[in-house]
Amino acid sequence: MFLSNINLGQYVPTGSVIHKLDPRAKLFSLIFIITAVFPAKDFFQLSFWLAALCAVVFLSKISWKILLRAARPVFFLVAFTFIFNLAAAYFSGDILTASYRAVFTSARLIVLMMFAIMLPLTTAPLELADGLDALLGPFESFGFPAHECSMMIGMALRFIPLLMQETDKIMRAQLSRGARLDQGNLFQRVTAFFPVLIPLFIIIFRRADEIAVAMEARGYEGGKGRTRRKPLAWNFKDTAAVIISGFAAGIFFAL
Amino acid sequence: MEVRSVSFSYNEKLTGRALNSVSFFVDKGERIAILGHNGSGKSTLTKILGGLAEPDEGSCLIEGVDINKMKFRDLRSKIGMVFQDPENQIVAAMVEDDIAFAPENQGLPSEEIQRRVDTALAAADLLHKKDSSVAALSGGEKQRVALAGALAADVECLILDEPTAMLDPKSRLRVEKILRRIHSEGMTILQITHQIEAENFDDFDRVLVLSKGGIIWSGTTSEFWGKAEELGFELPDEFKIKKILDEKKINFPNDFANFSAPSTISYSEQENEYEKKFKIKNLSFGYDEKIFALKNLSAEIFSGQWLSIIGHTGSGKSTLVQHLNALYKIQSGEIFFDGEKLPQKGEEVHRLRQRVGLVFQHPEDQLFSATVREEIAFAPKNAGFKMQELEDAVLYGLECAGLDKNFLERNPLALSGGERRLVAIASVLATKPECVVLDEPLAGLDASYQKKILAMLGQLRDSGKTVITITHDLDTALKYSDRILILRNGETVREGAPFEVLEEIMNFIEPEALPDVLRMSAEIRKINKNFPLLYDFQDFVKCFSQI
Repeated sequence: MFLSNINLGQYVPTGSVIHKLDPRAKLFSLIFIITAVFPAKDFFQLSFWLAALCAVVFLSKISWKILLRAARPVFFLVAFTFIFNLAAAYFSGDILTASYRAVFTSARLIVLMMFAIMLPLTTAPLELADGLDALLGPFESFGFPAHECSMMIGMALRFIPLLMQETDKIMRAQLSRGARLDQGNLFQRVTAFFPVLIPLFIIIFRRADEIAVAMEARGYEGGKGRTRRKPLAWNFKDTAAVIISGFAAGIFFAL
Repeated sequence: MEVRSVSFSYNEKLTGRALNSVSFFVDKGERIAILGHNGSGKSTLTKILGGLAEPDEGSCLIEGVDINKMKFRDLRSKIGMVFQDPENQIVAAMVEDDIAFAPENQGLPSEEIQRRVDTALAAADLLHKKDSSVAALSGGEKQRVALAGALAADVECLILDEPTAMLDPKSRLRVEKILRRIHSEGMTILQITHQIEAENFDDFDRVLVLSKGGIIWSGTTSEFWGKAEELGFELPDEFKIKKILDEKKINFPNDFANFSAPSTISYSEQENEYEKKFKIKNLSFGYDEKIFALKNLSAEIFSGQWLSIIGHTGSGKSTLVQHLNALYKIQSGEIFFDGEKLPQKGEEVHRLRQRVGLVFQHPEDQLFSATVREEIAFAPKNAGFKMQELEDAVLYGLECAGLDKNFLERNPLALSGGERRLVAIASVLATKPECVVLDEPLAGLDASYQKKILAMLGQLRDSGKTVITITHDLDTALKYSDRILILRNGETVREGAPFEVLEEIMNFIEPEALPDVLRMSAEIRKINKNFPLLYDFQDFVKCFSQI
């Protein structure tokens, strides 16, 4: 398949410690880590977070191969920032320091995104939705649709692999009909994708409609009155995870 | 359950009523089949029965209470639903999480939810898949998850909308077996379907026939057999044969014990030598280093013949045909097309795709144009056709697919499912390919469109084109195609004329899923070694006249 190698953060169950953490604990830890990685100033500081990333990946029992595959779309973003930074460096004159900065910014972005990708890889979509729901819950009193937003994110994550398959199939079908998806100038390439995009949108809408009906048939009427098979339970290990990541971020700021 | 003169319309002025004064009742513990062709109002009725749409007139009652006046939560713990496409019913990534969805919505305590999930898992034979992720399941298993998901709401009545239509024969039998058990334990089941299957029809207590929004017939299954053809439904071969056997008072299979087949039934080798269109040598293909879709596959595909490729899900059928127009690049092995190596890149690939037309599964989902004309013109335009040549190509495609000219200016999205399928096929035929490959061309169509497409493929073959179809439907493959290629785990099991491959088919398909004539002739063969394996209905009937 053309697209099968792209894994946009699909859940990979391994039953590890990281998987078993409460989704709220993972969300909190991620927030701590991201706020701390952003201000990293040099490779020495970054290597600290790279080590932390290695530890998390090791604990999660997720192979680097899967992680790197999931991160593939991120590399495009990284490549873009790299080129942009390099171009800026070229005009600024001091090429050496500036290109060093381009390399460093890209590396920092990679570490950052890797941490972020670990979240959906280790958390089942509905569990993640529950976690977000719980964290955003307080904002509900200000009229923020917390449950709806979390459910939407959960469902989107669930259906990404399916839509990738659909896209792949439509691409193949249109290629069979002689479509030239990879030739011509930018404009031609964009318009060449309409025969893929239009059927895809039709399929997405139809699926969404059918899923909504199926959910209603199973008694879904929003978050009110819904209980959980495994209610979110905050354990000692969750407190520990948040403290460790908070502490790590704290030290980092203190330095 | 009772349905009282229910009517429903989406837009009465434009399309008329989808349902018109439909009334019937269902006793507790009954299993009822609601039969109807495409467009008979089945889906609308499903929605109304499930309380997902409110009828314009009339009402739907459960134990005397109108379901549209019932509390949402009460209703949802009485009626469970299973739809055609398992993917669109599963909300969670893990099996247990998904099955828990309904009881979670009912606000039950955790222990009770877990108990419900365990019971539902057991009922759907899924205990061993408890901790699986949904993505790792087969289509049949996913549909069982959907069934378990409905059962977990502890419902009294199940409404099933063609629950096995998208499954392969093996999974279909499995789901049917589970339904039979659930029904025997007291569940009321309403099953909506567009075709009669010999394997499960005796399970139903009653049949309702829906046509143009009204119930035109109802009765028991045995009464239905006499009427089926009159009502526009094709009887399975098995029932037609049993009818003849009864009339002739022949005891099956014992009367055949000392019977040698008439010499009039003889299959001969092909007289004409056909040229080879494709020659495939040691083709292997792997999606990653470990999983191989094709393993050292070799086969020959003859020019001007209709080849059916059969095999279980995952046997490599789709991967193989996508090699034929270079959608998959050859990893190892060789393919020759008309004696020349199959091109793998550049402009030649585009020319190849014009000569080898590939129609994917559910091609009606790949339409995108505003008019049928533009849709059909897409492929020839890409192939460089211009002006009059382009117009001719469009008309040619249209004609091949048996559509008339007034379709040209219509919007493909506004057509019926069957018509859309024909437009999609026309759009591939428009470039006048020498070879047409179709992946499950009949899937999900009702009998009349299936016949249309089979006739069209026969005509294409007769006009000298090479036709290749992938199918799960053995009966059609045997009856219509000239050659059969059996694949298993990415390898060729056998290639030959239908009569040559019967033994192999017997070996890899479970008896219940075999075509009726083949299964019955094999039954006779068990007690009489001289009896040939047959697949043709007429040939089989000929045997009776000699007893």
